Amino acid sequence: MTKELEHSFVTHLEKNQNIVHKVCRIYTNNEAAHNDLFQEITIQLWKAYPKFRGEAKFTTWMYRVALNTAITLYRKSKRSIQTQDFEGVSHKIKFEQYDDTEEQQLKLMYKAIKQLNDIDKALVFLYLEDKNYAEISDTLGISEVNARVKMNRIKTKLKTILNP
Amino acid sequence: MMDELDLLKKDWKSREKDLPRLSHDDIYKMIWKKSSSNIKWIFIISAIEFLVGILITVFYHPARDEFKLPQIVDIITKGSMIVAVYYMIRFYLNYKKVSAASTVKGLLDAIMKARKTVKTYIIIMMSLGGIASIIASVYTYINQKGGWESFNENAHTNDYLLIAMVAVIATVLVLGIFLLIYFLLYGILMKRLKNNYKEIKKIEV
Repeated sequence: MTKELEHSFVTHLEKNQNIVHKVCRIYTNNEAAHNDLFQEITIQLWKAYPKFRGEAKFTTWMYRVALNTAITLYRKSKRSIQTQDFEGVSHKIKFEQYDDTEEQQLKLMYKAIKQLNDIDKALVFLYLEDKNYAEISDTLGISEVNARVKMNRIKTKLKTILNP
Repeated sequence: MMDELDLLKKDWKSREKDLPRLSHDDIYKMIWKKSSSNIKWIFIISAIEFLVGILITVFYHPARDEFKLPQIVDIITKGSMIVAVYYMIRFYLNYKKVSAASTVKGLLDAIMKARKTVKTYIIIMMSLGGIASIIASVYTYINQKGGWESFNENAHTNDYLLIAMVAVIATVLVLGIFLLIYFLLYGILMKRLKNNYKEIKKIEV
């Protein structure tokens, strides 16, 4: 029984691991932190898996657990994450073949997102993942209207960070 | 602003291919974290055991002067300290190894080895305890009879038998206490390790 459960869980997770990696990418700034968060999310997913009865889509459920874990952890160690540098992100962008202004813009955008609070990061993340407001509200457990309002505020916030 | 966010969305998607990729095994390993935490506890308990041992020898001298034990007991006590330090290091290395194991087979080997180390450790510590208690009980008994020479002069076969019995009973008692403590400390962890091992073994096939 346990064996089957484990096997189906690992298979599912392996197939959809990109979601977890992307959550890690939004919330962490270096490889070690990324791996730690990945492991933590995996353990939380595994713990919650017996309760996952297939009512939601596996991926929707994954988004929810992964974001909750990241948000909880982020709250616990707020300072250490905030003071980390953005090298990892800006370094990667350098290798992309963008023209200069685009590259600069992106760099600033990622930097700005790192400065958002934990919940706002989750919203931006789901937005980047092309989720509509219904999905966002479902995943984060807030109303659709609330999600829209929050997203608009984030856009304003980003604007002020980018153009001080 | 919208343009920028959409640009970001495009970039976000294009970077999907750079994401790390974990294998089936890697993910299995993550949910078996419990093995590594058991082995960590084995290390912590051995460290505590060692510290308690040091504290006892430093602060507790049972009427040293009137009740002198032969030097050999002292040597055994010190020897067991060295053994304890050695195994403490081994336990720590085991813990590192299990946390770092990168394949299912590696993990199984590491758990197996960790269990073996604990077993050897317990056997060595119990043998040392047993030897010390045999020597101490025989020595104490003879001392009470007025020393080796007077004992030897008046001794009958019965007395030798009695000595042997006292030694055996004392040793069984000491070993019993050891066994109880070790069972409580390590037995439970060892059992859990064994169960984890079995579970992982099943999956490996």
